[in-house]
Amino acid sequence: MKKINGWLLFIGLLALVFLVACSSEDAATESDGGTDDSNAAETGDTSSEKEASGEGDIAGELEIQYFVGGYGDSWWKEVIADFNAQYPDVTIIEHAGPNINEEMRSRWVSNDPPDVVYIDGAGSSETQMVEDGQLMNLSDWIQEMELENGDKLIDSFLVAPATYGGEIYSLPLVFDTWGTWYDKAWFESEGYEVPTDFDSFMSSMEEIKDSEGISPFVTTGQHPYYFLRGVLYPAFSAAGGEELLADLITGKEGSWSSDVTLEVMKKVETMQEEGMFDSGLGALNHTQSQMNFLLHDNAFIPVGFWLPNEMANDIPDGFEFGFIPSPMQDPGEPFAIVPDLRPLAIAENAENPEAAKAFVEFVFSREYAMSFSEHTGAMMNLNGVDLTDNPNVPVYLTEANAMINDPETVQIYEKPHPMSADLETPIGNNLLSLMLGNMTAEEFVEEAEKAAAEYRSGL
Amino acid sequence: MVQSKKQKYMFLTFCLVPTFVLFAIFTLYPLLSGLYYSFFDWSGASDNREFIGLDNYIRLMNDAIIPNTIMHDYFLVVTKVIGIMILALFFAVALTQLKLREAPLYRIVFFFPNIMSVVVIGILWTFIYNPNLGLVNSALDFLGFEHLARPWLGDEKWALPSLVFPSVWAGIGLFMLMLMGAISNIPKSYYEAVEIDGATKWQQFWRVTVPLIWPQIKISILYIVITTLNGSFVIVQVMTGGGPNNSTHVMGSYLYQQAFVQFNFGYGAAIGVMILVLSLITVIILQFLLRRDKVEY
Repeated sequence: MKKINGWLLFIGLLALVFLVACSSEDAATESDGGTDDSNAAETGDTSSEKEASGEGDIAGELEIQYFVGGYGDSWWKEVIADFNAQYPDVTIIEHAGPNINEEMRSRWVSNDPPDVVYIDGAGSSETQMVEDGQLMNLSDWIQEMELENGDKLIDSFLVAPATYGGEIYSLPLVFDTWGTWYDKAWFESEGYEVPTDFDSFMSSMEEIKDSEGISPFVTTGQHPYYFLRGVLYPAFSAAGGEELLADLITGKEGSWSSDVTLEVMKKVETMQEEGMFDSGLGALNHTQSQMNFLLHDNAFIPVGFWLPNEMANDIPDGFEFGFIPSPMQDPGEPFAIVPDLRPLAIAENAENPEAAKAFVEFVFSREYAMSFSEHTGAMMNLNGVDLTDNPNVPVYLTEANAMINDPETVQIYEKPHPMSADLETPIGNNLLSLMLGNMTAEEFVEEAEKAAAEYRSGL
Repeated sequence: MVQSKKQKYMFLTFCLVPTFVLFAIFTLYPLLSGLYYSFFDWSGASDNREFIGLDNYIRLMNDAIIPNTIMHDYFLVVTKVIGIMILALFFAVALTQLKLREAPLYRIVFFFPNIMSVVVIGILWTFIYNPNLGLVNSALDFLGFEHLARPWLGDEKWALPSLVFPSVWAGIGLFMLMLMGAISNIPKSYYEAVEIDGATKWQQFWRVTVPLIWPQIKISILYIVITTLNGSFVIVQVMTGGGPNNSTHVMGSYLYQQAFVQFNFGYGAAIGVMILVLSLITVIILQFLLRRDKVEY
């Protein structure tokens, strides 16, 4: 009998363990949900009260999620440390790393997001976050925000925030712009021409191909959107302006099969036919393509401003970074660039929205914009930051900055918002086929139009 | 010592309940929740989801990429089964019957890829296939076959076949060991008897070895098929990401792309259900095709 009791007790305990294991998630979710709801309500009220009074104690825990990629994390560490010094009652919890978007996904799904999020890197999508109602509407708050000298923040951006139905959900922090990189020292020593338009781009590549015996242009085939954002967006903008760019990004009917689009794609086809693309690019990932460029296996690569910082440990002696907006425009036209903004946002269900707002306000300053360029070799999205006399800012950046700010040389085109992955993926796949010579420009625009139709039907 | 009925049931309960609970938690629950999510429009990145009935399945039927992913999966299944079984059987027979002195060393060498992560294998082979620095193109150059060198993983025609070699290389060891175990269990007297009858080595292999290790061959084939349908995703994801232009996407990698890159988690779940159904059908058909009377001598 004792034995049976022992068995019963053991089974009972085992069952209890499983019951607890099974129910804990529900219980946790319930309690979290409850906490979230109550907090949201509570903080919402508090925040509106405090906003009304224009003051409030900034304290408690502040969770910040930021992706660490080519720009590194030293700037973030500096800003966070300074913020903490100014707001000692705030305990900052950092969620950072190259895979942070994936790692934090369960938090967002369970409606327990961090307070502040820097949207960048693989696995993040501003469009998806806005569509899912995960970001706080900042439209009214941004009107009140001012920089340290009293300038309105909304008037101090290099590029205005993305809008969704006229509302603002994120503030563009990093002003990245894709362009075409080359080795300035190599070009100077060999006398190669730095392209100024599509014709000179072709002649320069032809010369390099003949004298070096290499395919002059490389990009990562594993991520064909690099070419789309880095080369085609400027090309479309130069050819059809912001209207065409917006139509293509939103998949408007007829935009991908339009004559202007076809004309641009014909240029890509010509590059392929003339052997300008590295035949192995389809296999190359992000790092391999950048490495090939540094090793002079190729002469041009279209990427963002992260390149020098990210590859800092692999730069060969004598290599000097040169940057031009992708030269896809016709002769006589200015270069076109399409900024790629990496925004900072506050979660709709942030547990500490006051601290989150204080942090966002703290970050957007010209002082940190300067420091951003020093740390990352890239630019923060604020105007009035003079990089020219700062010896800690890389030369390529000051030159690029000067070029970008000269409207006769460079025309800036803004896109309404990033292209949805549902459209960018099929377009990118077909683009790679075109670059590999397995598709003509006509076939590409036909396939792209189909992809846009499919995208529209899913909206 | 006769067990009472109660004791017997208690013992059965003790054995079955924990197993069933674990099975329910780790198999049934994910399976049913996958099925459940396939009826929703959900990004997989927030708590917002909308019930859309069978829309994801209708989309599945109309998605032009899906038939290609299925074909790619079965291409890998067929080539892997053929490649792994032929080589594993050859090595197993060689190492058990050719009386090689270095047999233990070869066992370790062939089994080595099995203890490596598939991710490591994928990265390793990505370097081997590298168009500029890779071993394959360098070897072709060295041997004077430069015209055959190509960007293996970047070529729409060659990328998928290129994935077969690492998959086969990574799979041989385990099945070789399984078959070696089976061959070792065949009494030597059978071979002595057929040798006296004048059977050649080839006849010995087909008439004695293969029939007697058929159950292990069958299990090996089924295992390769199931793991390929469910697991080829990893090698694809690491080596090509499904590209170029979807030419290497298998069902699993396309599921990943839809669920985690394009934020269509509900649709990804529907693809998962399709993988389950196809795997079940394939295994049932294989069970039927591979059935054979048990051979005993």
